Amino acid sequence: MENQKFIFPRKLASITLSMVGIGVLALVVSYFTGVGSERIAANLLLNSYYFLSLGLIGLFLVTVHTIAESGWHTSIQRVGEAMSAFIPVGGVLLLLLFVLGGMHLLYHWTHTDHLDAILLKKVAYLNTPFFYGRLLVYLVLWIGLAHFIRKNSLLLDQTGDLKFYRKFRMLSAVFVVVLAITSVTASWDWLMSIDAHWFSTLYGWYVFSSMLASGTAILILLVIALKQMGYMTHVNQEHIHDLGKYLFGFSIFWAYLWFSQYMLIWYANIPEETVYFYERHKHFSDVFYVNLILNFVVPFFALMTRNSKRGSLIMVPVALIIFIGHWVDLYQLIMPGVVGGENSGIGIPEIGITIGYVGLFLFVVFRSLTKAPLVPKHHPFYKESLEYHTQY
Amino acid sequence: MYTSPLREPLIRGNKNYKQVTDDILSPMAGKPSKYWYLGIILAGIAALFGGWATFRTVFYGIGEWGLNKTIGWGWGITNFVWWVGIGHAGTFISAILLLFRQKWRTSINRSAEAMTLIAVMCAGFFPLIHMGRLLLGFYIFPYPNTRALWVNFNSPLLWDVFAISTYFAVSLVFWYVGLIPDIGTVRDRAKTKIRKAIYGFLSFGWTGSAKHWSRHETISLILAGLAAPLVLSVHTIVSFDFATSVIPGWHTTIFPPYFVSGAIFSGFAMVLTLMIVTRKALNLEEYITINHIESMNKIIILTGSIVGIAYLTEFFIAWYSGVEFETYAFFNRAFGPYAWAYWIMMTCNVITPQLFWFRKLRRNVMFTFVISIFVNIGMWFERFVIVVTSLHRDFLPSSWTMYKPTLVEVGLYVGTLGLFFTLFLLFIRVFPVIAVAEVKGVLKSSGENQKLTGHE
Amino acid sequence: MSKYITAYYSDEEDLLKGIGQIKADGLKIMDVLTPFPVHGLDKALSIPRSRLTRVAFWGGAVGATLGFGFQAWVFTIDYPLNIGGKPFFAVPSFMPVAFELTVLFSAFAMVIAFFLSNKLGPGAKPVIHDERATDDRFLVVVEVEENSPEERISQIEQALAKAGAEGITLKA
Repeated sequence: MENQKFIFPRKLASITLSMVGIGVLALVVSYFTGVGSERIAANLLLNSYYFLSLGLIGLFLVTVHTIAESGWHTSIQRVGEAMSAFIPVGGVLLLLLFVLGGMHLLYHWTHTDHLDAILLKKVAYLNTPFFYGRLLVYLVLWIGLAHFIRKNSLLLDQTGDLKFYRKFRMLSAVFVVVLAITSVTASWDWLMSIDAHWFSTLYGWYVFSSMLASGTAILILLVIALKQMGYMTHVNQEHIHDLGKYLFGFSIFWAYLWFSQYMLIWYANIPEETVYFYERHKHFSDVFYVNLILNFVVPFFALMTRNSKRGSLIMVPVALIIFIGHWVDLYQLIMPGVVGGENSGIGIPEIGITIGYVGLFLFVVFRSLTKAPLVPKHHPFYKESLEYHTQY
Repeated sequence: MYTSPLREPLIRGNKNYKQVTDDILSPMAGKPSKYWYLGIILAGIAALFGGWATFRTVFYGIGEWGLNKTIGWGWGITNFVWWVGIGHAGTFISAILLLFRQKWRTSINRSAEAMTLIAVMCAGFFPLIHMGRLLLGFYIFPYPNTRALWVNFNSPLLWDVFAISTYFAVSLVFWYVGLIPDIGTVRDRAKTKIRKAIYGFLSFGWTGSAKHWSRHETISLILAGLAAPLVLSVHTIVSFDFATSVIPGWHTTIFPPYFVSGAIFSGFAMVLTLMIVTRKALNLEEYITINHIESMNKIIILTGSIVGIAYLTEFFIAWYSGVEFETYAFFNRAFGPYAWAYWIMMTCNVITPQLFWFRKLRRNVMFTFVISIFVNIGMWFERFVIVVTSLHRDFLPSSWTMYKPTLVEVGLYVGTLGLFFTLFLLFIRVFPVIAVAEVKGVLKSSGENQKLTGHE
Repeated sequence: MSKYITAYYSDEEDLLKGIGQIKADGLKIMDVLTPFPVHGLDKALSIPRSRLTRVAFWGGAVGATLGFGFQAWVFTIDYPLNIGGKPFFAVPSFMPVAFELTVLFSAFAMVIAFFLSNKLGPGAKPVIHDERATDDRFLVVVEVEENSPEERISQIEQALAKAGAEGITLKA
């Protein structure tokens, strides 16, 4: 009981793999029905970025709780670690997308023969070799750190030697610092540079807060799913309650950053900045409001009471809505710049490809869960994690 | 409740509940020490200097300040933002750390919150004095009047009015609600009739009934939940004062979270400065331990690094934007006539706090004290740099100018420092500096004796 | 007038055990006084969860409506003014003040309700059973009628002693 390992049910494995199949099929269908290669590339970017970020957030939650020496989180640590297993997969998919022609379709600053005066000023940063260089640095750092953090976490569990705990904690601190910098620059590279003329200093943190809320939602869904399957019996209402508070808090934090960015640009009304929201108001006004409703209004009212955060009845639908909501957020960040108002929409490429990525993500995460006991019972804070109560 | 043996105790010494009460309340009884008198005399002199400067400003007008038509905001707003920033630590400690169940907050939250209230008072003084006519201060509130005019709800300065007054009011209530049980303790231990009557009145009739405690905990939690976004909103709105404009160097979207982070950074620095002295002077080293100082230093390094990333982001995006004015504003900050101020800011805020990555230095009281002073200085210069360097190069080169404060402005700043320390010194005589009931609440799980006997 | 029998404890765990015993003996506990909030006490005394959170919610709702509505009324109906080319109904501009008033109303409504429901306030005259209740003693107070027979009182005292009380006093 104590040392339980997750066994990946065959049925679940085939479901996730057939979801991947749907994704591939959707990709092929979209290609031949001529929705436009920009739209396909945009969808691949959206999902690669989204699920790569969810992997990073999984690891971020593990590391940040490790350096904060939080006790309660220990019991769900394995789930965050499993999410981080997607980092290499997502990273490679992103790299493949760029190498196989995505660069040209997504980023008009790569069209070096007709750059305007403003883009010419940015060539020192926005050029293809440097772009790839940065990308490789991010991937090497993320994958490397994820690997060593996981390794020390497992060694700690096998031996109970506090030496590995200290190493785990030290690497966690390194990862948090690395992610604090690279998550910002990566969002500039991959997302902000789509609208290459536009700029906003808050952008990196805004995207990060979006991914943080969604990553927490996924963590909650995974924990509840594992409990449904009969695992993680040591995780009780108190842990779910805490995760629910996170989801509530991060959603408000996301709304705060959304408002800060929008309000300042709206208020100052400087043309080179407002053009960004002008485009979104004009062609994507539905998405613009849906984004706010799904990501702020729904969680704010649904998760306000104590009881709603303590059970799966409200938490599961809300977490699903938030997961979809931040997909929509990325949609409104990417589509206007790549595809434009006339050619975009939500159809086979959007839904199909996303289903494919969800399947792949779940497959990788569940497979990673089978590799280690779900209970980190030699972690020095494990006992604390079992005995605590949310006093409020 | 079980706590891992890896955790250090939060209360040193072999304490029981009675000793906790005695240790914390003893500084309130008896005569103050000569250092206390020295402190209050010095603070009083500084406050008198401020009184003189206030008189000059009100009697002769804002012309007494070193402002000119290009630089319309100088030390006044710098000090305002600095004080508001310092006023963020108290409510951060008691609200956000409560939500995160950080037990170490119990030893410092009471005095940090008192510090917050005093700092916000000092901050509020600057916009009022800037009006030149203190009597007209009420003009900033929307009330029906014979001119049939309302205030301008589109103005961030008006948002400030609401933000700061709400923050002050809610922080005061939060602080006082937390203080009531401790005032009850003081009342029940008062020796003289007068003390008993005063504290009896202030205790609102607190007895420690189980039902009252239950509700007290509920409202403490909800107040924390309300105060947490409130803390963020206050400095966010202060940052809007700048960021809603179109001035290069002011209009940047990262300002709200970056200002909040900077505020918590400077607030913790001031808490450290005060607590390191207070724990020594009042013999509270067993309650405010090196472990507490280390925890605060970790917050310093976190918020300091966030501020550092924000500086670099601003700098990079200024170049990346391709807007000449933005690029120039930031280049001028780092290498222009006010470069000295910029590099003081950079050194004190970004570079020196990074030394706290070393555990040895985090746990060194003297070193922490020095760094906390550095951060206070650095954060003052941050506001100075933002305000003055962005303004002094106007859009027309013929308006370019420099700014120097006058003695009156210096006097106003020193005066608020005097006011701050005077009120804080009075606070430690009148109220318990540590939340007695809250410390008792964590004694079982985090006291040293309990941990040694393996209490679970 | 009634009399109060008070049992003293010096440790919260003994207190919780004692309360269980006292309740099992069928005695009605009038009040428990403690120097700090004891966890598990709410459950032991079956104190229901406080409803002050609802006061906070409705206070906040009133504050938000009032804050937003007032600004909107001023700028669209009462005295529309063109300020910096902003629309009269400038929703983003109204958010900060609306937010602050939400928090203000919510906090004050809740704290006022807290004081009223506990009958706490300046000038309240509490019955102080023992001054050590705010220091290091945990008190269980049992109420008996003024003219209760001696046997009843000593019966209660015995029950309290059995429940591990370290001291028992009788107060008129």
